[in-house]
Amino acid sequence: MSEASSSRLRQRRAEKATAATDITAIEHDDDDYNISPQNPTNRSELEKALDNEKASMAVVGVLTALAFATRFYKINHPDEVVFDEVHFGKFASHYIQRQYYFDVHPPLAKMLFGLAGWFVGYDGKFPFDNIGDNYSEAHVPYVGMRALPAILGSLTVPLVYAIMKECGYSTIVAAFSACIVLFDNAHIAQSRLILLDATLIFFMTMTMYSYIRFRKLRYQDFTLQWWGWLIATGTFMACTWASKVNGILTVVAVGIAVIVDLWDILDYRKGRSMEYFTKHFFARAAGFIVLPITLYLFFFWVHLAILSNSGPGDSFMSPAFQETLKGNELLLNSQEIRYFDTLAIKHKDTGVFLHSHPERYPLKYDDGRISSQGQQVTGYGHDDPNNYWQVIPTKALPETGRGRIVRHDDVIQLLHVATDTVLLAHDVASPLMPTNEEFTTAKKDDQAKYNDTLFQMKLVDGHEGEAWKSKSGHFRLIHVKTKVAMWTHTKQLPDWAFKQQEVNGNKNIMDKTAVWFVHQIIADETGDDFKDRVGDKPDTPPKKRNFFKKFAELQLSMLQHNVALTASHPYASNPINWPFLISGISFWTANADQKQIYLIGNLIGWWTCVGALSLYSGITLASIVVRRRGIETLPEPVMNRLWNSVGFFFIFWAVHYFPFFLMGRQLFLHHYLPSHLVSALIAGAMLSFVLSETVNYPISIPGPQMQRSRIRERTYADLGTRGPIIVGVFAVVMLGLFLYLAPVTYGTPGLDGETVNSKRLLTTWLLHFQAKETGEVV
Amino acid sequence: MSGTVRARRPASPPPGLPHAAPTSQRFPHPRHDHLDADARKEAASRGLLPSRRTHASGGLNLVPAEWKVLVVIVLLACIVRLFRLSQPNSVVFDEVHFGKFASKYIKSEYFVDVHPPLAKLLITLAGFVFGYDGHFDFKDIAKVYDHVPYVAMRMVPATLGIATVPLAYLTLRALDCRATTALLASLFIIFENGMATQSRYILLDSPLIFFTALTVFFWTCFTNEDKHEQFTDSWWTWLALTGLSLGAVVSCKWVGLFTIATVGFGTIAQLWILLGDLRVTPRLWVRHFMARALCLIVIPVLFYMFMFWLHFLILSNSGDGDGFMSSEFQHTLRGRQMADTFADVAIGSEISIRHVNTQGGYLHSHPHNYPGGSHQQQVTLYPHRDSNNDWRILNATHDSESDIEWTSKPLTYVTSGMRVKLRHISTDKCLHSHDMRPPVSDVDFQNEVSCYGMPNFAGDANDDWVVEIEKGDRRDRESTHRLRTLRTQFRLRHALSGCYLFSHKVKLPEWGFEQQEVTCNKNAVRANSLWFVETAFHPNLPQDAPKVNYRLPGFLSKFLELQQVMWTTNAGLTDRHMFDSRPDAWPRLRRGINFWVKDHSQVYLIGNPLIWWLSTAAVLSYIAVRGFLILRAKRGYKDFENTKVVKYDALCGFLFLGWGLHYFPFYLMSRQLFLHHYFPALYFAILLSCGVFDLVTSTLRPRPRLYIATFLLVLAIWNFVYFSPLAYGSRWTRADCEHARWLKTWDFAW
Repeated sequence: MSEASSSRLRQRRAEKATAATDITAIEHDDDDYNISPQNPTNRSELEKALDNEKASMAVVGVLTALAFATRFYKINHPDEVVFDEVHFGKFASHYIQRQYYFDVHPPLAKMLFGLAGWFVGYDGKFPFDNIGDNYSEAHVPYVGMRALPAILGSLTVPLVYAIMKECGYSTIVAAFSACIVLFDNAHIAQSRLILLDATLIFFMTMTMYSYIRFRKLRYQDFTLQWWGWLIATGTFMACTWASKVNGILTVVAVGIAVIVDLWDILDYRKGRSMEYFTKHFFARAAGFIVLPITLYLFFFWVHLAILSNSGPGDSFMSPAFQETLKGNELLLNSQEIRYFDTLAIKHKDTGVFLHSHPERYPLKYDDGRISSQGQQVTGYGHDDPNNYWQVIPTKALPETGRGRIVRHDDVIQLLHVATDTVLLAHDVASPLMPTNEEFTTAKKDDQAKYNDTLFQMKLVDGHEGEAWKSKSGHFRLIHVKTKVAMWTHTKQLPDWAFKQQEVNGNKNIMDKTAVWFVHQIIADETGDDFKDRVGDKPDTPPKKRNFFKKFAELQLSMLQHNVALTASHPYASNPINWPFLISGISFWTANADQKQIYLIGNLIGWWTCVGALSLYSGITLASIVVRRRGIETLPEPVMNRLWNSVGFFFIFWAVHYFPFFLMGRQLFLHHYLPSHLVSALIAGAMLSFVLSETVNYPISIPGPQMQRSRIRERTYADLGTRGPIIVGVFAVVMLGLFLYLAPVTYGTPGLDGETVNSKRLLTTWLLHFQAKETGEVV
Repeated sequence: MSGTVRARRPASPPPGLPHAAPTSQRFPHPRHDHLDADARKEAASRGLLPSRRTHASGGLNLVPAEWKVLVVIVLLACIVRLFRLSQPNSVVFDEVHFGKFASKYIKSEYFVDVHPPLAKLLITLAGFVFGYDGHFDFKDIAKVYDHVPYVAMRMVPATLGIATVPLAYLTLRALDCRATTALLASLFIIFENGMATQSRYILLDSPLIFFTALTVFFWTCFTNEDKHEQFTDSWWTWLALTGLSLGAVVSCKWVGLFTIATVGFGTIAQLWILLGDLRVTPRLWVRHFMARALCLIVIPVLFYMFMFWLHFLILSNSGDGDGFMSSEFQHTLRGRQMADTFADVAIGSEISIRHVNTQGGYLHSHPHNYPGGSHQQQVTLYPHRDSNNDWRILNATHDSESDIEWTSKPLTYVTSGMRVKLRHISTDKCLHSHDMRPPVSDVDFQNEVSCYGMPNFAGDANDDWVVEIEKGDRRDRESTHRLRTLRTQFRLRHALSGCYLFSHKVKLPEWGFEQQEVTCNKNAVRANSLWFVETAFHPNLPQDAPKVNYRLPGFLSKFLELQQVMWTTNAGLTDRHMFDSRPDAWPRLRRGINFWVKDHSQVYLIGNPLIWWLSTAAVLSYIAVRGFLILRAKRGYKDFENTKVVKYDALCGFLFLGWGLHYFPFYLMSRQLFLHHYFPALYFAILLSCGVFDLVTSTLRPRPRLYIATFLLVLAIWNFVYFSPLAYGSRWTRADCEHARWLKTWDFAW
């Protein structure tokens, strides 16, 4: 160091002594220039040897090689459909066949599977019907598809290493964190199969890495590099979000970090102007809000562009959406309805036909209420001539032409063809619900009841003059006089109505379940020549619809279905159990040779992480309390590292974990894997904290924005010889337990009952093929 | 802002004025010193030092005239809140429930409700004192009362509603607001239509609001004491009173937990400040901590438990709440006791088997077949004692003549791992399972369980079950080795398929008489596959063989069990209701609740729109202003060095915290919610709006301030009168009714 800089050093010390009296001001900066890898003499030899570029490359090389080896080992086994491959494999087929499907997860990870499948020449014909269906017999190139998550899962390991290195930890500590992920049975089992989590975790790790790089460049703001990492963070964030619904948590975590960062810039003690803050604010708004949203939309745009044919997902969407799909039934068979057409009308939710028969309502119900004794109107599940209704106009019609089409808001009568009576509603309580109106029929020429027989046909989201169409024209039938909607529900009427479904008038006319559609046009006015009306129609081209409308509809319906996934599952578990690895998930079993895949983590790794998390919470809480009493226990660089760098990890861990407690849907152990990866980072940080008094500091890249007055003394971490020994022993133990559990991770070889029992390290693990415990001693 | 900073007076008198000596005549007499902020400000502006006055208990510096004002306010509240209390003379809204519970208390029949007992006990007490004997069934809304002292019962919430009014006054005074502000708040409370409606009927919300207000008042007084001098007698008194009223809030409704949270946050803030004060030794800090823990945790818990002790004491007879409770619990109720039964279970014993985890009851079969699946005889869980619950346990390892064997042979006790058959005595069929999906839980890891066989047929191997003893009783060593009545919990494994006999809270359809489904589950949840023998009888056992009965649970285990039942019942209240609403609709007063309709008059719970919207506006403006101040502070503006900002920040911050903690947690609840759940939060919001009033008018002279207050009050009262027919259920013309429908979403009944 030059003369000048050393004198600055001395000055700095004096200043520090005065600053220490201000106990409330936590200094958030790691400031210095000069990051040249120099090794001062007071570090141990081993540390010096390991902490240089070459050694680091060697370590990362070994880790990556091992990662690929563990993830790709026997990747072709089992050659059967495992667990959720049922879904995600199927979705990949749909992409290849370009058939529309519906799923609760965003499309990116599934499109990548589709891409991988297409690349290895998969034709998309395999049905993926059941767990255990054989791939080899059907010649499915499943290995290529499984390779994708395996590659991404393997790359996650060096990424973990890189994150730790970037955050200023020793090579050996970074290797420790990477080992926890490398030898983790749960991460391995999850990355070897066609599942979304490996992709999600990879993108999440990339997001963290980019953000850390970005943050380290804060003294060189608005440089090319700075923009580059900003955009990279935004991009990977969007990819995470578009891979799986839980990816939104990554967005939230980055969001929190950004807000904390901006809040710091806003602090007047930093002496920044408002213009400076505004510039930063808009840069981040562009990179972390606008860019991810654009990308997310883009992925959906690609998704919808690929899936242009009709497929199994049609029925989840609205008719308008369905008509944009090639070969959709609505598109092919939907026709305009004219007056005097005879129709079969179906209820959208329960799928029953509007039905009537000559039997009448009993005069008195069991609960003593009285009916009108009119003809019964019910909902009936099967095709029957009693389901046929004719549309009768209530206005003058032209002789021919398009004036005879029934349109939105038209007032109509419905004539029951078999009994020649018209549908009627009136202010009489329905058989099952005293709050709702009874539906019945009246003689066609009964003028006294004419007003009760008028119904207004309102298309869902219809506009003025829109024509009523079969199949696609979802509508509500509103009784004009009493303002009730024709409605039915799954409750059956008693024997007197042959246990058919009750149809009644619902006062809440906007009820979501009061929607009906015309299933089929049976005949038109003159008989059956209406076929000509259809016959001459050529193949209808799919309609165009605004992308944003389609996106909004799809997004809404994804959310609704995600919330509705509440059915219980034998392997679903409560979030509180996850960090402790209380139970796993059975992915696949083969009875013949007693093979199984059971998703379970490496117990040692997981419990180490739990220990590290509690250690971190303990230190943080204790230091807050102690600081409050005016005592400084830790040197400032160490404290800053704990607050800022580990704090960033901790936010990621908490944000990827705690929201699950609020979710009502079924939850599985693999939802914890992102959090587990982050907890491995915290474990590394804690190891460094325990072993070394000091940290590598500072680590941020110096630049013009740095304030010279805050420059701190440079320190280096030193784990001594203990570090490599402890990490070495740990890695061996991890490897040992990993190998011990490997048969249930890779699903081979088969195990006999006794061995299965011995693999069951916790009694709560529900492995298959356990030997019966004999002579249980109490 | 900076202008105000400059205007701050120096601590010493300005040089021009004579130096004020303590004996100076210019000093106001201590008695007159208990004036509001204006008087103090005026005195200060004349250069007078505040006198060394004595600190009033709780920081309540009321002048004598204010007591007169308070009396007038209470009288006015009585008039408004008690007006035609007897109208309507029929059951209104949830009086259906709470009236019914009062009847049950009086008849001491056991019932289960989701709310703790205090408010219901108070209502019952009123009914009991006025001679109600519990005969009325409170079956439907609008059923006319018949010899029920319902006015006396309604007096309980009404009185507590009235008592809330002076509390609002005193709380704001204790928070150092001006008398005008406090007056405004108390009158707002009186003329809030929603609170008035709610306090007129037999409902729990009025007691809840009262105790919440009481807690807030005590807590404010305690905070004042704490700032003045600690560990004095009055400091302890206010603290203990806070604890007691916290206990009372949470004993009315569990929503009281939010009040506990409010006080809890306040306590944590106090302790945090003390921790940062380096003059406070750790010893003293621990003393502070312990004092608060004792008064704010131990006292409320004891109070709450005492309420349940009373509850159990009164409800000593069996009633319709039995079914929710465990068998041990039921055994403590008169009319539900069971005779002693033999302790030993041997091959050939006639036993009844109960499911441990659900209250579904006994393993049961009856001569009706499944409509689908195997079409064999149904096996269910049935909650009542019945001869169809009796099974004979037989040894399955002897292939033939099993029936004869057990009578002639010596007793063989049933031990763990024994392979047995269970023969249903009245139909003479065996408990059976096979690879067939059950009727309701149609999943591939569950098998159907049925009864199969015929009188002289020994049965097949699918009738065989293996007894696996799971847990014995610690005080009965035998019970872990062999089956003992009531003491042993066991599982039954189907010998061939390895699944476990299982039941869960799923009802069979009508053909199964809505009894609980029994299946054989391969992935059985442990708790749902546990069973125990309730009664056992064996002809070969001598009469003096050991007998057992349920152990009577102590108060603590009964208490804990009931808490759990209340919790699950509460969480299960997810059905939609005609008038339920979500929390986001409440501050907007989007919709009310129809309480009662009859003969063209109705009771409809709706707030006073002016007061309601004013309070919401106050909350929003607090958020906006506070957020703005935080941003300014970050940019280095020294707003928080202004005493006025600090004072109003503390005042409004506390009230806002109370509002937020009584409001936001509802978003996490998925059960059905109603507008009246907002009332505790509304109380805070109204006080907050008055606090904002105090701030806004702080620079005005007293007279204009009074004019503004009067103007607001006149508007509020006009609103109240306009909507009062909905509160009192009095006659109203249709035109007025339609006219009063300010929002399209207010669905009055025509």
